[in-house]
Amino acid sequence: MVDHVTTIYQCTLPFHEYKINSRGHLPFSTSKLSHPNSKQNQKPLPSPHPANAEAPITMVTVSVKWQKEVYPAVEIDISQPPYVFKCQLYDLTGVPPERQKIMVKGGLLKDDADWSKVGVKEGQRLMMMGTADEIVKAPEKGPIFVEDMPEEEQVVNVVLRKKYPQFGQQSNGAFMQQDAEECWTQLLYTLSQSLKLPSSSEGLDVVKALFGIEFDNRIHCAESGEESTETETVYSLKCHISQEVNHLHEGLKRGLKSELEKASPSLGRSAVYVKDSRINGLPRYLTIQFVRFFWKRESNQKAKILRKVDYPLSLDVYDLCSDNLRKKLEGPRQVLRDAEGKKAGLKTSVKTSVSTAGDSKMTEAEESSSGSGEASKSTAQEGLLPEEEHQLTGIYDLVAVLTHKGRSADSGHYVAWVKQENGKWVQFDDDNPILQREEDITKLSGGGDWHMAYICMYKARVVPM
Amino acid sequence: MSKTPDPKSTGTGAGKPAGEESTVKVPSKDPKKKDDKKDEDLSEEDLALKQQLELYVERVQDADPGLQKVALESMRQEIRTATSSMTSVPKPLKFLRPHYGTLKGFYEKMPDSDLKTLLADILSVLALTMSAEGERESLKYRLLGSQGDIGSWGHEYVRNLAGEIGQEYAKRQSEEAPIDDLMELVQQIVSFNMKHNAEPDAVDLLIEVEDLDLLVEHVDSSNCKRTCSYLTSFAKYLPGPDDMLVLDIAYTIYMKFEEYPLALVTALALDNMQSIKQVFTSCDDNLMKRQFCYILARHGQTFDIDEELCASDEEREVLQEIVNNVKLSEGYLALARDIEVMEAKTPDDIYKPHLLDGRASAGASVDSARQNLAATFVNAFVNAGFGQDKLMTVPSEATSGGSSASWLFKNKEHGKASAAASLGMILLWDVDSGLAQLDKYFHSTDTHVIAGALLGVGIVNCGIKNDCDPALALLAEYVDKDDPSIRIGAIMGLGLAYAGAQNEQIRSILTPILGDNKASLDVIAFAAISLGLVYVGSCNEEIAQAIIFSLMERIESELGDPLSRLLPLGLGLLYLGKQESVEATAEVSKTFHEKIRKHCDMTLLSCAYAGTGNVLKVQHFLGECAQHLEKGESYQGAAVLGIAMVAMSEELGLEMTIRSLEHLLQYGDQNIRRAVPLALGLLCISNPKVNVMDTLSRLSHDSDTEVAMAAIISLGLIGAGTNNARIAGILRNLSSYHYKEANLLFCLRIAQGLVHLGKGLMTLSPYHSERFLLSPTALAGLITVLHICLDMKAIILGKYHYVLYFLTLAMQPRMLMTVDENLKPLSVPVRVGQAVDVTGQAGRPKTITGFQTHSTPVLLAAGDRAELATEKYIPLSPILEGFVILKENPECRDDN
Repeated sequence: MVDHVTTIYQCTLPFHEYKINSRGHLPFSTSKLSHPNSKQNQKPLPSPHPANAEAPITMVTVSVKWQKEVYPAVEIDISQPPYVFKCQLYDLTGVPPERQKIMVKGGLLKDDADWSKVGVKEGQRLMMMGTADEIVKAPEKGPIFVEDMPEEEQVVNVVLRKKYPQFGQQSNGAFMQQDAEECWTQLLYTLSQSLKLPSSSEGLDVVKALFGIEFDNRIHCAESGEESTETETVYSLKCHISQEVNHLHEGLKRGLKSELEKASPSLGRSAVYVKDSRINGLPRYLTIQFVRFFWKRESNQKAKILRKVDYPLSLDVYDLCSDNLRKKLEGPRQVLRDAEGKKAGLKTSVKTSVSTAGDSKMTEAEESSSGSGEASKSTAQEGLLPEEEHQLTGIYDLVAVLTHKGRSADSGHYVAWVKQENGKWVQFDDDNPILQREEDITKLSGGGDWHMAYICMYKARVVPM
Repeated sequence: MSKTPDPKSTGTGAGKPAGEESTVKVPSKDPKKKDDKKDEDLSEEDLALKQQLELYVERVQDADPGLQKVALESMRQEIRTATSSMTSVPKPLKFLRPHYGTLKGFYEKMPDSDLKTLLADILSVLALTMSAEGERESLKYRLLGSQGDIGSWGHEYVRNLAGEIGQEYAKRQSEEAPIDDLMELVQQIVSFNMKHNAEPDAVDLLIEVEDLDLLVEHVDSSNCKRTCSYLTSFAKYLPGPDDMLVLDIAYTIYMKFEEYPLALVTALALDNMQSIKQVFTSCDDNLMKRQFCYILARHGQTFDIDEELCASDEEREVLQEIVNNVKLSEGYLALARDIEVMEAKTPDDIYKPHLLDGRASAGASVDSARQNLAATFVNAFVNAGFGQDKLMTVPSEATSGGSSASWLFKNKEHGKASAAASLGMILLWDVDSGLAQLDKYFHSTDTHVIAGALLGVGIVNCGIKNDCDPALALLAEYVDKDDPSIRIGAIMGLGLAYAGAQNEQIRSILTPILGDNKASLDVIAFAAISLGLVYVGSCNEEIAQAIIFSLMERIESELGDPLSRLLPLGLGLLYLGKQESVEATAEVSKTFHEKIRKHCDMTLLSCAYAGTGNVLKVQHFLGECAQHLEKGESYQGAAVLGIAMVAMSEELGLEMTIRSLEHLLQYGDQNIRRAVPLALGLLCISNPKVNVMDTLSRLSHDSDTEVAMAAIISLGLIGAGTNNARIAGILRNLSSYHYKEANLLFCLRIAQGLVHLGKGLMTLSPYHSERFLLSPTALAGLITVLHICLDMKAIILGKYHYVLYFLTLAMQPRMLMTVDENLKPLSVPVRVGQAVDVTGQAGRPKTITGFQTHSTPVLLAAGDRAELATEKYIPLSPILEGFVILKENPECRDDN
């Protein structure tokens, strides 16, 4: 806008100068039609003085057509260069002279042309083209076209497909529908391989700190009485769905007990072992997968379980934890209970939190139990917070749901529902974000044709200690 | 025949074959006995007549002239009073048949006298049924006879005579014998025919004796329209230059009876400026002159109204404005508002992806330049002329140019040129707003955007003339810029804006480019096309020379480039429809490099005979297509297009050609098969015939991609501006079938855009005024695009996709807009229905069938005709198409 204003003044300047220099009268008069945009205060122009007759008065009256308007009776002083005429038109139309194109019988009027050569006639109609519109500029960053990309990058997921050829499977010439959980696992795995904390030399795994769930597995063989324990890190909890499972918690519990067959060294044959798992380490972000897709052996095809499985907005995993971990959690849980009991909370906790502005903001968000966005940047930063200051409580808040819509495993539509920093939920349907209410989020539990939760992401509720 | 049993012939020989009597030519020696036999199945009345006639025959041979005279006159009386149906021979003639020989013999012996001529008259009539084939005795005796009133012997006699005159004339022409006596007779016959509703017969006779001029004096105001309608419709079947001759006669007749609008239309068909002016000078009704101007404007004729044509300054300005088509945009928008289609449409509204199953629409998360370009074209075609859309124009001030710029830059490189130019298409015909909106692009730093803006200026001005010549003023200085894309934009813009204008200034600007050694081939090619468009059908020698020299200078490698084929096309356009005038140039073209020689030959010939319906040329092209070529030659494509160009003129030839093309499809080589869909597209342009639609739909799945692409584009062409649901469905399904092949998909999108051209308010057909007139500029635009489509990959799918804008030349609203005497829209009820060909039909047959009554403005589909459904107004032009001025009918009383 500033530019625009200056150009106006630049071009009006000669016009005014000319007014002053003229010998007591204006060599031309503009018609009374004044453009509303014109910023000049147009005074009524004095009529040409009759006494000044020694100079041949060379006035030609023409009409000027500009867009849909016709300005009749515009007078041209043909002893003056056309630029003056253009300034006149500027007054009428608001188009800067340098942007005016005036068409005179198949030619453009040049600023320094000679009127006598142009051969303008009384009553002639001139046509002016030009606008004061903004000139089109190319956007800083042009769009990237499919055609510009190297052949193999022509689809968004190309990198992914290159890295994991299994996602590049095609059928009927189109890429097949892939499993979101599989993709998530692969992504996490890759990230864990490449993302290392630069500060910690011992190679503390960021991804593990954020998403890893430590299990204590007790493998017990009823036949031989053999028993062994091992630890294991997984990145998601599985919620197995069977007839009895109506709620997430039940599914998770079932997931902790599994039977497996393996060679028993004492029996010298394979025997059935029971694997009993307990969580021994909790992550900042808890990923829960509803095992909705399975291989139907009878029909040799992938199938989807449509059963409704409820999940809570906040999840307590305390009873899935090992005794060890429970002990650790006692303290923080007490604090949380107290805090909630008092309902005092916020301000005191802020005081005790870290000093940097960014972090305190984060905490504030967390404390208000709204949960922050799960953008990887901020979470990574958060993951760095020393454990002494924030303790896990075993209570988690739902921050994101990935749903699958459709009846089969090979087709359908994945949609993400993510809680924003401001506590609002947004449904990301491809490139189309839609605001959603929190109470609708729990309705994604399945049992119909509507979107149903496939992966849930919970964020740990922490207390400062 | 009476069924009452004859008392004299009870029972005997009732079943006598009737043939026996007719075999007898000479009366037998015993007439009495013969008579007995004959009388058997005759009624009493007939018998009396027969005996009476026999008596006359005998008396004629009597020595007494008095008796002879009485006998002859009685005989004549009998013949003349005999009434009979057309299917059987009148009785007196029948009964006289046996005596024909006798009378003939007697005639020879008679001395010259009045009686002899009287007998000759009778013999002439008798010869009608008796004369042996090819003897032409009827004519012979007629000439020897009294030359009396020809009509007194009835129609059949006259018809027979006319036939014999035709034969005799041909014979005498070959012998170079005098024909004066024949012409005398012709005069009589024509005069008789014209008076008795047999105009076609009169015209046919005059054509046979090659003296059509005679017609003029025999026409009167009651039969002038019927005569001329016969003349103009059969002119299409005549080879040049006879067709022009016939039209000229029609023109003269129209002028004579002051049927000025029709005279003007005929003058336009003749392409005779002198005649057009004459219509203006002959008519002194100002309102009528306005109507003339509308007709001229529809034809795309550049025409200056000077003082000679209209004395009043004020009126002249009004007339010039109409000829300049200034109000076309207004009328078109009025139509759009009336039909309620102003709402802008997006490409997705056309693609209708929701009607397809998932896959076609899925996964477009990254912009595809090709698809965006297609969307640009679709958007331009669909919203053409509406002045608003959802991509290029800004809906309100609020977005401050943002959206326009953003779509523009969603196109890649040369795509931006097409995108910028599409703004011109959206604002088609609306020069004032068009130039204002394009202005912003002129200041862009992107050469492609500037090129597009230049082209856009040309498109906006297409078919519209303006005193200030804004297109020339704006474009001229860019023609000689360095950047080839800017040059092409300016050159093509000039070609579009001044097509048919024959503007000297343009010639002086563009001709030097042809000889410019530094100019690249594409610039030269577009210059040739633009010159061809501006001077379409002018036979301009200088330009022809310039193009020929330019062609000769091309090095061999350049001649292989598909763009080089635009040069012969430019040359051909100069001779569009001018038939023999092309011959000298065609001769020169034989000296070209062999790579282009044949192609040039085909192109020139097809252009010169475009729209003439010349059967010989069609055969010539078919002959060319029958050759099997060695690899690499491709001139047959031009030949196939040539067939369509020549044959498109009239319905009958068109149908035959469609069938012939089917054969080419089956037996032709690949380069022929590729051109066949395009030829079909031209034949049925904006006229989706079901059989053609089926053929093209089948070809759109062809294994040869080029054939499929051509078929798809042609589906768009035949459905252009019709909103035809069936074609739209075919294309939609194809879009999911071909969704992976970017090239085919691009063609599909273009075709979809074309089908919804101007939201269904437009036509691409170069024919108008009841399919009588062929707009040369429209045809030129079409064939340019079709020729370019012969090599789709190199040009349209390459970086010259903006050639599609040549279609602008053929775009016209397919409307009937009635205006009052102040040229303001006036809504009246009209009946719109399928046109019926009433040429040569007797009486006042209905001109339309299956009609519906609407209020103007209305849309007219291909083959539709409208007629006023009210008596309150009189249209100033009998052809209810485009703008028609109505004036109030003074004789109409308001019943209410």
